[in-house]
Amino acid sequence: MRNSSLVVLILVLTSPAGLATEAASGDSARISQFARLPNWSGLWVSAAWSLGTSGRPAGGEEELKAKLQLIRPPPYNAQWAAKYEAALQDKAALAARTATFKVCTRSFPALMEAPQQFQVATLPEETLLIFENGQVRHVYTDGRSHPAGDDLWPTPLGDSVGHWEGQTLIIDTVARSASESLAPRARVALLSEDAHFTERLRKVDANTLEDEMRIDDPTALASPWIFTLRFRRVTEMNRMISTNCVENDRVQVIDGKMVITNP
Amino acid sequence: MGMQYGRQSVRSKSKRCYAGLMASVLIAPVLAHHSGAMFDEKVSVTLVGTVKEFQWTNPHCWIQVLALDKSGPVEWSVEMGSPSQLFRGGWKPKTVHVGDAIVVVIHPMRDGTKGGLFVSASRGDGTPFESVPQ
Repeated sequence: MRNSSLVVLILVLTSPAGLATEAASGDSARISQFARLPNWSGLWVSAAWSLGTSGRPAGGEEELKAKLQLIRPPPYNAQWAAKYEAALQDKAALAARTATFKVCTRSFPALMEAPQQFQVATLPEETLLIFENGQVRHVYTDGRSHPAGDDLWPTPLGDSVGHWEGQTLIIDTVARSASESLAPRARVALLSEDAHFTERLRKVDANTLEDEMRIDDPTALASPWIFTLRFRRVTEMNRMISTNCVENDRVQVIDGKMVITNP
Repeated sequence: MGMQYGRQSVRSKSKRCYAGLMASVLIAPVLAHHSGAMFDEKVSVTLVGTVKEFQWTNPHCWIQVLALDKSGPVEWSVEMGSPSQLFRGGWKPKTVHVGDAIVVVIHPMRDGTKGGLFVSASRGDGTPFESVPQ
């Protein structure tokens, strides 16, 4: 009798109707998870930036610099501070690099303080930060850990996992490429491959997201570096218009300097 | 329309070093896509002429301006932001048409080539382009 019941149960569960019931149950659980996630829909952009028609900061370079966090000197230990100061003093190298500097994508954390607009898609399994230049940060929230051993290697955006504490997304990022500078305007500022980033991303009001970032790097920093990035809701447009660097890139580096090519 | 070409100096903001901003003061500004080192931002040039072409493209939009020099019309390439940036500023692909009279202020190329970074623009009658309803 017990065997008969078991057979019936298996038949029910593996029948099309049974599988559908199970799938519906899974969907229901996922819908419940969705319902608990915050709604961060819309377009967002770093509050530090206000670009004019020229593509330059509308308030001028000095106003922009006063707002940017990543261009400030990191709290380096003595050894890294010495390397940083030496790089700053090498004006010839800086000038040569500036004369030919082009940027299309940004590494993390620079991407979080870039002028690119982005959308945030909060799914039960991951949160996606989708930027207008095509870059995407994947923050996995399905309970996984960072990959172990040889499955993990440094990349410009690093590897991010996260979890929710109420309506705040806690993001843990490691394995960021050490060769990447902190930001285009802080090109001599580096971190080691030991850098560990912890972000607390939350919506503080209808039009503002806030990212409290803590950087720990026992190799390069004397103390944790903590600062807050803010993002404003974009109201000037209601859809993402993607950008790219290849459609009509007329600024080319020729013989060590940038020139404008003919149309 | 009489076309003219002129070069004028603009007030250059004094370069002040903020405490804690040493990393930035030695590094030239960066546009969204490339360094601005190629442009002389202490100088402004006003181009008066007509639009030869308006390129609504990534990573930059461009206005090709035919401005009259002493020897005749000279073509200038004026770099702007991306379509996304221009759209947010009220510009659209048909804001500028071929043949439009235009007065455009630019920061010129340091190497003397006929190009520059867009600063502002108006129609022949002084109306700003971005304020014109589409």
